[in-house]
Amino acid sequence: MSSLGYYLLLAAFVVGAYATAISVAGARRRSRPLIESGIGAFYLLAAIMTAASSVIVYAFLTGDYSIRYVQRYSDSAQPLFYKLTSYWGGLDGSIMFWVFLLSIFGSAAIYVNRERHRELIPYVVAIISGVEMFFLLLMVVHNNPFETYLTQNPTDGAGLNPLLQNFYMVIHPPTMYLGFVGLTIPYAFGMAALITGYLDDSWLRAVRRWTMFAWLFLSIGLGLGMIWAYEELGWGGYWMWDPVENAGLLPWFTATAFLHSVMVQERRGMLRVWNVSLVIVTFFLTLFGTFMTRSGIVQSVHSFGQDPVLTRMFTVFMVSMLIFSFGFVIYRMPLLRARNELDSWLSREAAFLFNNWILLFCALFVLFATMFPTLSEAITGERITVGPPFFNQWMIPIGLTLLLLTGIGPLLAWRKSTIVNLRDQFLFPTLCGLLIGGGTIALGVRLWSSGLCFAFGGFVVGTITQEFWRGARVRQQTTGTDLFTALIGLVGRNKRRYGGYIIHVAIVLLFLGFAGGGFKHEESALLKPGEEVRIGDYVIRHDSLAVTDDGRKQMVTANMTVLRNGVELTKLYPARWFFRKHEDQPTTEVAIRRSIAEDLYVVMPQFDASQQSANVEITVNPLVNWVWIGFGLLAFGTLIALLPETAFAFAIGRVPDAARTATASLLLLAIVLPAAVQAQDGSSGRTNKTAMQRDIEGKVICMCGSSGCVRSPLNNCPMRPACHGYDGQTAQLQKLLNEGKGQDDILTAFVKEYGTAVLAIPRGGFNSLSWLLPYGLAGLGLLILVVTARRWSTQPAAAAAGNADMTVDPTIDARLDDELRDLD
Amino acid sequence: MSHKAAKIGVTSLVLATVFGVLLYTTLGESMQYYKYVDEVVGSQGDWTGKKLQVHGYVVPGSIGKKRDRLEYRFDIQRNGKTMRAFYTGIVPDTFKDDSEVVLTGMLTKDGFMANDLTAKCPSKYDEATGPAVKR
Repeated sequence: MSSLGYYLLLAAFVVGAYATAISVAGARRRSRPLIESGIGAFYLLAAIMTAASSVIVYAFLTGDYSIRYVQRYSDSAQPLFYKLTSYWGGLDGSIMFWVFLLSIFGSAAIYVNRERHRELIPYVVAIISGVEMFFLLLMVVHNNPFETYLTQNPTDGAGLNPLLQNFYMVIHPPTMYLGFVGLTIPYAFGMAALITGYLDDSWLRAVRRWTMFAWLFLSIGLGLGMIWAYEELGWGGYWMWDPVENAGLLPWFTATAFLHSVMVQERRGMLRVWNVSLVIVTFFLTLFGTFMTRSGIVQSVHSFGQDPVLTRMFTVFMVSMLIFSFGFVIYRMPLLRARNELDSWLSREAAFLFNNWILLFCALFVLFATMFPTLSEAITGERITVGPPFFNQWMIPIGLTLLLLTGIGPLLAWRKSTIVNLRDQFLFPTLCGLLIGGGTIALGVRLWSSGLCFAFGGFVVGTITQEFWRGARVRQQTTGTDLFTALIGLVGRNKRRYGGYIIHVAIVLLFLGFAGGGFKHEESALLKPGEEVRIGDYVIRHDSLAVTDDGRKQMVTANMTVLRNGVELTKLYPARWFFRKHEDQPTTEVAIRRSIAEDLYVVMPQFDASQQSANVEITVNPLVNWVWIGFGLLAFGTLIALLPETAFAFAIGRVPDAARTATASLLLLAIVLPAAVQAQDGSSGRTNKTAMQRDIEGKVICMCGSSGCVRSPLNNCPMRPACHGYDGQTAQLQKLLNEGKGQDDILTAFVKEYGTAVLAIPRGGFNSLSWLLPYGLAGLGLLILVVTARRWSTQPAAAAAGNADMTVDPTIDARLDDELRDLD
Repeated sequence: MSHKAAKIGVTSLVLATVFGVLLYTTLGESMQYYKYVDEVVGSQGDWTGKKLQVHGYVVPGSIGKKRDRLEYRFDIQRNGKTMRAFYTGIVPDTFKDDSEVVLTGMLTKDGFMANDLTAKCPSKYDEATGPAVKR
């Protein structure tokens, strides 16, 4: 099995080499068959990688512990889900997964563009295959995931690190890789354009969508990583400028810059060298990020081992890639001359340019500060570190400037803004900003950074509201529809622009969450049962400590009551889990009371079972949930920008009345649905009775000795069989089951009788999936919307015969376009 | 053309200088030296009163804790040189005899006053993004 996998990797390497060589040869000789052969080889590589991936997944599923990688990252007790995802649990598998994704993603990109950008394709194939070859070589000579034990095969695996056995950690790496891999595509097209000299804007059009797609995944990946850090690591925050986090952020900055400066090139033919350089730098940073975190060159709390071989190979690859890429940029400089000059600093172009500089500066600064310990050691011989305060000191003002620019950019006209339209454009947003800023001061906020952040946020939202409002008014006047339809039509007409504005709103929400971090406060205490600690308006009382076991791990759970003004708000259950085989690395299960205004975040890093006492760290995190909401909205906005052209066709003019109403209700549904689901989750269906009975017995504490001081679940009570609590409770459980009650009802009944102390595993809390569900459903809603929209748009003639909307003739359409352009 | 080039050159020079100076001044405030225990023990005088990160190993049996308090006193060593350290707060589980720790704080004549303690796991993490336990 393992040798099959290894030979597949070797085969992939050979096929990759063939694809590179034959494509370059085909392009130089302008030979169609050779080029086609290269494309074919490229698809073949994807097929081989799929097969190799199947092999490793199969090894994980069947528990083939003769393979070192499988042995190290899984064990037989792991649930199926984690067995599958152990594929990318370690370095060797990650690299393979990376190549697999790149081959699939690249094949899709080539399939879509093979006719439209015929001249570029052979070089795109060659570049992507070249990158794949590097990673394949890495695996073949150094990080072979199929490596086996030479002498004795272990009978069971070591198991995945418990910290990684978390839903977000499972989906975080693949999203991140999709982002990284996706950014290889623009690089390949950019390089192909440089090599061939076809440096008009066609390569930009080819990669625009791919970049946005990659950017979306990178953003979501960063967001998921933050959620994971917040919920799993238990230090009370979500970002601390660790090298591993920074590695993902670096290409995000430059990719964001690229997405903005692309518009300048499309519109005005400027910034051409800049754009192609950005693409190269972005790709370089994805490599560098991987290198930085994997080679041990930067010391991090994520302690990776030193790996000199990996370091050397990566260095050689990165240096040659930089020389190759920028060599071509210099060679093609004459073809990259800008078609226009900057007319005025008070123009949209200039705003974009500023935005680009700042984003690039962010990337450089983060890179510098992350590498600082390494740099200082290389130069002075002393290892000097800089902490998160240094990052914050710089990034807060930079971030605020960026936020302000987000509001200013859309208000400026292309080429040159006149004084009159400046006044006209800036009046409303500035008022919004001043209003919010004034309100903030009136409310007694004395933190300059957060106060400014709120004010700037108000300004940006003002800008975007004004843009939507004016656009919709114009459209309403020309099409004669109602404002709502006009708004949808407007967004449909220019999805990239208005999707972008939605993303800007999301950025404001993110900043809102970041600004809330300024008001965070912490408290730590050692509590015996019955003792309380006060933090802000909250009083937290430690009630008891329970020890339970579910076969895979032992769980120590504290029962805490949260009070505000003497009224009980909720119960919180911070816990520590000791996974089998990883007893020395217990995981911290954070208990969070979420609300829109602030999170109450409780962790129990230490406990004393003999005294039932718990050490707790409590953090109040104001506004933190807006960060997650911001990421959700950001994804929504990007999806709108990514929608295919026809998706909104129904709203662009000829809409039957009924359809319009239906659209409105569908949209409303899409917004309301997630909320309804949120309210519903937690109620689970009924399952097999005996299994369920066993299940509940594990979830209910035996109340023998009336207070349940032994704190063992029913099925595990040491006082059995002479235990009155056990008999009584099992009888009661049987009775409730016979009445046909579901698990939730039964647990509720128990709680009613004995109080929440009866529950071994507190309800709610740990189920991360339910939290993601609304977003999934929102996505589904959107999909339905799109599909419906497409169907309507394909048969408008029959449906709208005789409808007044039919009178919208092409001239009005054209006029609208003109007027919209004026607003630009 | 040369006029324009000069303008760009001067602007970038000014910007670079400004950022350089800013970077230098802010760096000074937040810089911390990263030292191993044996590098510090020989020359306490040089390091007293400076912000420092010290890397070493907990001496077995040296950990003492005040009852019902979160105050710890312990010794850290490397290559035979030992140093007394104090820390108040919650310690990670991986903080025990022989564990590898990085302390952040200030050196005084009584010992090292740590305000942050990071312990690396004795069986080292090598998983994909396996983080060490931060305080």
